[in-house]
Amino acid sequence: MTTEYDLSPEDFADTAKAVVNACAEAGTTADRIALLADAGLTGILAGDSCGGMGLPVDFAVPVLHAAGAGMLAAPLLETMLLARAFSGTQDDLATAIAIGHTKVTIAWNGELDGAAGTVDRAPLAEDCDAVLVFRRDGSAILVTLGAGAEVMAEDTLDLERPEARVVITAAEGPELSAETVTELQRIAQILRSALILGAAEDSLERACEYAQDRRQFGKTLVSYQAIQHHLARQCLAVETIRNSIARSLSPHCEMPVDAARATFIGATGLGAKTAETAIQIFGGMGYTWDVPLHRHLRFVRTLAAQGKAAELLDSVAQQLLSGDNIKKELQRAS
Amino acid sequence: MTQTAAVASERPSLETAGDTARAWLDANLPQGLREDILQEREPTFAELSEWESKLHKAGIIGATWPTQYGGGDLGLRAHLDISREIGRTPMPESVNSIGKELAGPIILAVGNERQKAEYLPAILEMRNIWCQGFSEPNAGSDLAGLRTKAEKTDDGWVINGQKIWTSGASKSSHCLLLARTGSVEDRHRGLVLFAVDTSLPGVDIREIKSIDGARHFCEVFFNDVVVPEADMLGSPDQGWAAATRVLSIERATNRMHRAWRFENQLQHLVSACAENPATRRLVEHDYARPLAEVAVNIELLKGHVETLVGSLIDGNEIGPRGSLPKMFWSEAHQDFSKLALDIVSRFPPDLSDPLRAVKRRMEDIYIKARAETIYAGTTEIQLGIIAKRILKLNWER
Repeated sequence: MTTEYDLSPEDFADTAKAVVNACAEAGTTADRIALLADAGLTGILAGDSCGGMGLPVDFAVPVLHAAGAGMLAAPLLETMLLARAFSGTQDDLATAIAIGHTKVTIAWNGELDGAAGTVDRAPLAEDCDAVLVFRRDGSAILVTLGAGAEVMAEDTLDLERPEARVVITAAEGPELSAETVTELQRIAQILRSALILGAAEDSLERACEYAQDRRQFGKTLVSYQAIQHHLARQCLAVETIRNSIARSLSPHCEMPVDAARATFIGATGLGAKTAETAIQIFGGMGYTWDVPLHRHLRFVRTLAAQGKAAELLDSVAQQLLSGDNIKKELQRAS
Repeated sequence: MTQTAAVASERPSLETAGDTARAWLDANLPQGLREDILQEREPTFAELSEWESKLHKAGIIGATWPTQYGGGDLGLRAHLDISREIGRTPMPESVNSIGKELAGPIILAVGNERQKAEYLPAILEMRNIWCQGFSEPNAGSDLAGLRTKAEKTDDGWVINGQKIWTSGASKSSHCLLLARTGSVEDRHRGLVLFAVDTSLPGVDIREIKSIDGARHFCEVFFNDVVVPEADMLGSPDQGWAAATRVLSIERATNRMHRAWRFENQLQHLVSACAENPATRRLVEHDYARPLAEVAVNIELLKGHVETLVGSLIDGNEIGPRGSLPKMFWSEAHQDFSKLALDIVSRFPPDLSDPLRAVKRRMEDIYIKARAETIYAGTTEIQLGIIAKRILKLNWER
């Protein structure tokens, strides 16, 4: 695919994969953010006056796909989103985020109603300088961590990006409007799906490789049709996520907001199923700590919770049963 | 002005193809053909043919075919736009989809000029109805095992054999026939395609009653049927390549409207239930999330269809990837049909006409959906294609 940018999203895939591999050897979250920033990946979506590339969202998809496949232990999604969101209104801050000087995350659960409160599901907050906190009126505020915003470790399913709780007593900092937050959430649905796509595809590749090597009863596992069909179903799941992401970002998509929401809801179920099936195909080995499939599964389930997949499904139901779909359809037609 | 030119002048432009189609469909779909209202009788074949002929005159069917053969010369994007509107309109399925979506594209791909000029306008104008003679009693999913024999003689090709599950054959004027020139052991080699006039001596068509009560599909016997050399499509060695092309088209783009028809069925169910306090309560309390999951699946299916169209526009071959939307749609739609049947089976007595209409439609969809994971390659065949040709799994290591 060629674009007006003389680049295609696929051009970033190899670089992203190499940097994510390098990150696996880095010691700290700060080191990993530095590697990602040096390669320009944290600023892909940030404005070009903010140390970024000002590229459309589809350019971030292969980068986050690589991050999901490579189990990247860094808040890359949150960094990309905030560098983009603050571009144009707070350029110095957007620049600091894009070049990795200010390490940021987002507390995906909970809202502040006033200047104090508790929020959680903030990946890697313990290693970050600031956290974006949503407010009940739809806007958000970037709170500096430390005095007035204490990070508390939580039990966490995700091993790569452990979540934390943040107790805020005095919320002060740069703000995002409700409109910007709505857009941020919509883009997050698509980019989370890209992370899930990477995790799912890596799970599938590992399962295919194992099934072609492992022999039982004198034959490779993949010689058995039951195993072939398991793998084929997971291939369909992976391609369904991939195609739905592409549709959500296509200029020809009729209802991109609905498409992004459905992409994310679908990706959470399909991605988890792919990791679960991979564990099943590995058999007893799949249940061991050292085989990393459980890491993908934990990651996908955590992303589902951060993106509120269950609540989004309820919103689809509400829209469907209220007749809003039919009304939207009539509006589209008129 | 020729008939073709008159038709072409009515065609929508690329920018407005979908909107124009929608406006025409809204204004012209007869009440007797609507699937979302209670009908006292099934439409006749003649009524369905007449409707499809009108669709062609309105430029809604044949949009991508060249104007010289009665088409609209529009691109795939416009075809998708029109297909969306066809899907959103609760109208009957085509009775000549084999002609329009399989035979026609194959003739365009491998037919000679005479064949194109003779067959293509006749398909669009509903003068010729086509069926597909591929499956055989011992070559259903395993198409390369087909045995129908084509022997070359001085008078043309002599065909002997039997086809089965031939949808619409008893109403068809022509059969897209796949036969072999050599032995069964040749598998994919020596397969040849013909356009067979079903009125030829030796063609014997027998209807088979299917589980929905219809007599749509048939078995077709060919006993020393002499087919003129001129009715062979492509060269003998092109048969398998043409057949696989047919199948990849069938799996990927055939009935491109089905995601939007699926959505229309879901919305019909929900909106009909909303009219009655008891059924409204039923879906809100017991089925809200399962129905939302159906809505999500429909969006995911649109992702398959629209991405595939984009890929075709970019010049890529469909190949085995045609199995992806076919599999996703058939299983998601079957799941919906079970859910819908569950809901309508809990309707209270003394139903209004709108609820009776939706109950009848959902029961019909449930029964018909049994076929969806069987035709155009069973689910098991699709899984095999994905395993072998997309994942490229190697079980010979």
